[in-house]
Amino acid sequence: MGNFIKNAKEFLIKIGNAIKNFFWNIRRYINKFKRKISDFLDKKKINPAGKFPGWAKALVYLSPALIVLGIFTFWPIINSFALVVYENYNMTSDSITGYTIFGNFIKVLTDESFIVPASHTASSAVINTLIIVFISVPISIFLALGISVALNSIKPLKGFFQTVYFLPYVTNTIAIGLVFAYMFKTQGGLVNQFISFFGIDASELSWVETNAVYWRSMFVLIFYSVWSSLAFKIMVFLTSIQGIDKQYYQAASIDATPKGRIFSKITVPLISPMIFYITVTSVIGAFKIYNAIVALFGVQGTPPGANYNLQSIVMYIYQFIDGSKEGQLSVAAAGSLILFAIILVLTIVQMQVSKKRVHY
Amino acid sequence: MEKQLFLKSKKIEKITLIFDALAVITYIALFLFLFNHLQMPMDGQSVILEDLETFNPIYNDFPGIFSNLVLNRGQMNSIISILIIFFIVAFPMLFINIKKNKTRTIYDIDSYSTASTFVQAIINLLTFNFVGAGLRVYNTFVYIKFLKGYSPKEFFKSIIPAIKNKRAERKAKKLEIVEDEEVKDEYSLSIKKSIRRQTAVSTVRLLLTYLFLVLIALIIIIPFYWMVLTSVKTFSESSSTLNPQFFLWIDRWNWVNYKVVLTEQNFGLYIKNTVIVALLSTFGTIITTVLSAYAFARIEFKGRELLFSILIMTMMIPGELYIITNFITVSKNGFGWIGNPAGENQYFLAMILPFVTSISYIFFLRQNFKQIPESLYKAARVDGCSDFKYLMRVMVPIASPTIFTITILNIFGSWNAYIWPRIITSVGDINGSNYWLISNALRDTDFVLDTGRVMYNLQIAASTLVTVPLLIVFFMFRKYIMNGIGRSGTKG
Amino acid sequence: MELRLEKLTKVFTNKNGQETRAVDNLDITIESGTLVALLGPSGCGKSTTLFMIAGLVKPTGGKIFFGEDDVTKLAPEKRGIGLVFQNYALYPHMTVFKNILFPLENLDVPRDEAFARVKEMANLVGIGELLDRKPSQLSGGQQQRVAIARALVKKPRVLLLDEPLSNLDARLRLQMREEIKRIQRETGITTIFVTHDQEEAMSISDKMVVLDFGKEQQYAAPQSMYNQPGNLFVAKFLGNPPINAFEAEVKNKKLIINEKPFMTLNVPDGLYDVGMRPENFRVADDGFKTEIKDIFHIGRDTMIHFEFNGNNVRALVDSDTMKVNQKSVSLTIKPERVYIFDKQTGKVVNHG
Ligand SMILES: Nc1ncnc2c1ncn2[C@@H]1O[C@H](COP(=O)(O)OP(=O)(O)OP(=O)(O)O)[C@@H](O)[C@H]1O
Ligand SMILES: [Mg+2]
Repeated sequence: MGNFIKNAKEFLIKIGNAIKNFFWNIRRYINKFKRKISDFLDKKKINPAGKFPGWAKALVYLSPALIVLGIFTFWPIINSFALVVYENYNMTSDSITGYTIFGNFIKVLTDESFIVPASHTASSAVINTLIIVFISVPISIFLALGISVALNSIKPLKGFFQTVYFLPYVTNTIAIGLVFAYMFKTQGGLVNQFISFFGIDASELSWVETNAVYWRSMFVLIFYSVWSSLAFKIMVFLTSIQGIDKQYYQAASIDATPKGRIFSKITVPLISPMIFYITVTSVIGAFKIYNAIVALFGVQGTPPGANYNLQSIVMYIYQFIDGSKEGQLSVAAAGSLILFAIILVLTIVQMQVSKKRVHY
Repeated sequence: MEKQLFLKSKKIEKITLIFDALAVITYIALFLFLFNHLQMPMDGQSVILEDLETFNPIYNDFPGIFSNLVLNRGQMNSIISILIIFFIVAFPMLFINIKKNKTRTIYDIDSYSTASTFVQAIINLLTFNFVGAGLRVYNTFVYIKFLKGYSPKEFFKSIIPAIKNKRAERKAKKLEIVEDEEVKDEYSLSIKKSIRRQTAVSTVRLLLTYLFLVLIALIIIIPFYWMVLTSVKTFSESSSTLNPQFFLWIDRWNWVNYKVVLTEQNFGLYIKNTVIVALLSTFGTIITTVLSAYAFARIEFKGRELLFSILIMTMMIPGELYIITNFITVSKNGFGWIGNPAGENQYFLAMILPFVTSISYIFFLRQNFKQIPESLYKAARVDGCSDFKYLMRVMVPIASPTIFTITILNIFGSWNAYIWPRIITSVGDINGSNYWLISNALRDTDFVLDTGRVMYNLQIAASTLVTVPLLIVFFMFRKYIMNGIGRSGTKG
Repeated sequence: MELRLEKLTKVFTNKNGQETRAVDNLDITIESGTLVALLGPSGCGKSTTLFMIAGLVKPTGGKIFFGEDDVTKLAPEKRGIGLVFQNYALYPHMTVFKNILFPLENLDVPRDEAFARVKEMANLVGIGELLDRKPSQLSGGQQQRVAIARALVKKPRVLLLDEPLSNLDARLRLQMREEIKRIQRETGITTIFVTHDQEEAMSISDKMVVLDFGKEQQYAAPQSMYNQPGNLFVAKFLGNPPINAFEAEVKNKKLIINEKPFMTLNVPDGLYDVGMRPENFRVADDGFKTEIKDIFHIGRDTMIHFEFNGNNVRALVDSDTMKVNQKSVSLTIKPERVYIFDKQTGKVVNHG
């Protein structure tokens, strides 16, 4: 038995060696061939390496990415500046009726429900988006900071909590959004069940369904967007807090610095570049909120029977492409340029502020 | 002698792992078999959703020795649930043990690992993996022999004296403490007091911290729990208006919901579509990003910095801007991939090609490549290594953790893609829905009965189906993913 | 194989158009089978010279000959060189075995022979036991041996070592120095060894080149360079403690020190830089008397500080010749150990 195993092992090793030898020899012949070519070129005094400048070589490596980027990133940027000056661009016939400089921008800016709320409501895409940005971003950043500091201060179960907090990152926004909508059901929803636990009558308390008031729907939306964006922030904050030199804390504890001061005078300033970075990216991310609204309230962004909508700017833009208001691509382009402008301004403002505030 | 024991234990462990793997495969196979066997109320080709609730088939057509077996709906549910629970327990154990076994050295054997082997034996026993259990118990004794030199008999004999010893020790310690407290001078008393106050404060603080963390953890876990629970409820349980069930016994886990979602609601197809798109676009992304990150990190050429900073700046431009023109590009007036009559559309091309590269990953990878010392490149050049070979044989292996992180993130991205596939599958062709990706399907599939009521249990089952693969991938590569995210800070 | 550099020059131009002459008109011939040390302060162009010989840096001017072949424009892999880097540059993801095997993959060697050569090389440098480890599991000295094995495994015509010992601790350095010398003797390979440590260079090399600002200062055997420095820079660079250098006048073929004629020298009158090595002083009754400013007993030797022309000068003498608490001493120095350098060019004017 033992002998058999030994023999089998040797046999396998032999086969493995044969295969490896085969590949080795193939490589050898390729190398030989390469060397022959280059010797030949040397003899003829052709020096291919010398003839190609660096950028030619770089081009070979860059071309796959550059071609794709050229078609699907750079061309769209250029083309959207073309699109906004078209009047009544028709995609199917590829025709226009004329040119306009600001026409499409004006169309967007004066459109009911972009900035100005539609006549019978108090909500518009810009208002909704701003509310989401200015409420959900600060909440999620403070919460994430608190959680990461708390996490950093414990030892047992730390890995467990870290893993749990990370879960929302690895989920599908739409899928969990549907679960949230289900949990916030008026009748038989988990949340209302929880509320009635405290003796409050929640049988008529509507969150995402008919009769939901604006602020309640908005609450669900913000709750969900904070829930799903926490993971990433906690992870980044925790990594940077753990990167802080322990000596700072040791020095502080010898000086009997209270915990609150340690947090505000050591932790926060030292990770302020990261806080700043996360603020910028999450403000931009919140401005582009879309999937969460679709998951909770459908493609129209309106709870059933509501006389308001929860459209975001991005949603407003997409309605021109996704079938509901088809064909007005120029208006969509104008809208997205406006979004770009907002993001650009915000980024610049935050950069200026951070220059003064952020401790590097 | 010691070394021999160690090698012996290692060999036993390897055999145990083989049996563990066999057990896991058995669970999967049985599960698949039973799941396939599940019956749905059919009306010709389609499922009668209304009858799902009351449909109560008798399963009595098992092959071979099980031909006498008769199971009702509840029993079938229970068996499938148990198989899934077994899998959930056994698979991570197998995965972790394989990893551990590779790196185990003679120094890793201690009383802790011995105890853990014994506990695992008990788990094996509970999951009906009797061979694994036996081997592990045997291995436990090998460890004991290794650590203490006891044979099994001697070990059992030594247990009672050991316990007695421990007790005696504890008693002695208590006495010591009492004696200690009898010393009472002013100074040491005040110090003791302040220490006590300190411990009280820090205990309270610790308690509050844990309370806070547990609360947040609950808020995060509950949606998942609710999702999984709802996904196996019946329609009436899921849409009950009063007092929803917080817990169900395993015989009421209706796995047939998943079968309906996968077949009748076509989620099998959508998952297949998504996997195709995710894998191909990730494959493309890796190739393009590795090549261009290499060019930006290593090749000297005029305008490199300029080109790179242009790329960085475009990262600020919102993706919504591209979608408008890309829509034109892929439709009739451009490449003509979509917007044609049924059957002539290239949905996959349109879904994959725009996403086979990513500026932020190029940036991320370039940073990583730059950290690889220049002297490695010089050494390789002297050894006659071409640029491309250097990239493949040296740079890529060294940066493989980053590349792996990129792979995972990109797959997650495709799994989450909603707007682009929705836009391109919604024009023209009525068969567009055959090319939905899961996110579109989740949002746009009708889970509505003829009576107009939403079948929440099916909808949530579909959500679970979409979420679980992500979670499995996450748990398998937890360290990689979490470290990668912490370091990279990508994804806006 | 002989290695010859002809007017080798490298000028780096940065973005602002500023030029750095890293290597300046180097003319050196290295005989076959010798070990030559390239010595100089940091930033003097040692690595650049080495990389030009390796073909990793293109020279701005001049030529490189391997034997009779002009290799100036040849690609690095065709030159048949082995290169060892300061930080070893081992591939971190490959085992020691694969690291040493890597250069052979690109050559025309059958697999069996390649494996045999890897093992032979590993045994030669004494790491035969470590072939399965990754570089991160090795100590500095072991990594260095792997790097040498990797450089030697393809049987190069020339071995180039760029400060291979600078990352090691003092004791290991001594040991590895001897090891490199041994390997070089056993293989008989022409070797260039870059270092900024003069003691290392002197102990290991058959001949040394001293560089400063890319220019060759002197090319000679270590001992002769030490005893007959070609210029003030070389004299100052070699020796520990450093040479005493100060200004002095020669009048009527007499060297004037402390306003007194000190010794007779066969050089024209004028102002010169004078160099005297501390260890060349001897205690002798017929010498010049001087007051001791400071005295340090360091085991076998004693260091004396005293004054020459207002300059603080050190002498290193045998401890046996000194008494404790001695206030003054009488010292001599042989005329051929007094080096006179031209004030403008720094070139040596006589060797005593
Ligand atoms: N790629 C380069 N571009 C511009 N200048 C360079 C480059 N490489 C080297 N130099 C300059 O050339 C000079 C010589 O550099 P080199 O690396 O040869 O010095 P070195 O003698 O090896 O020094 P060290 O002992 O510190 O390694 C230095 O002034 C350096 O700044
Ligand atoms: Mg150097």
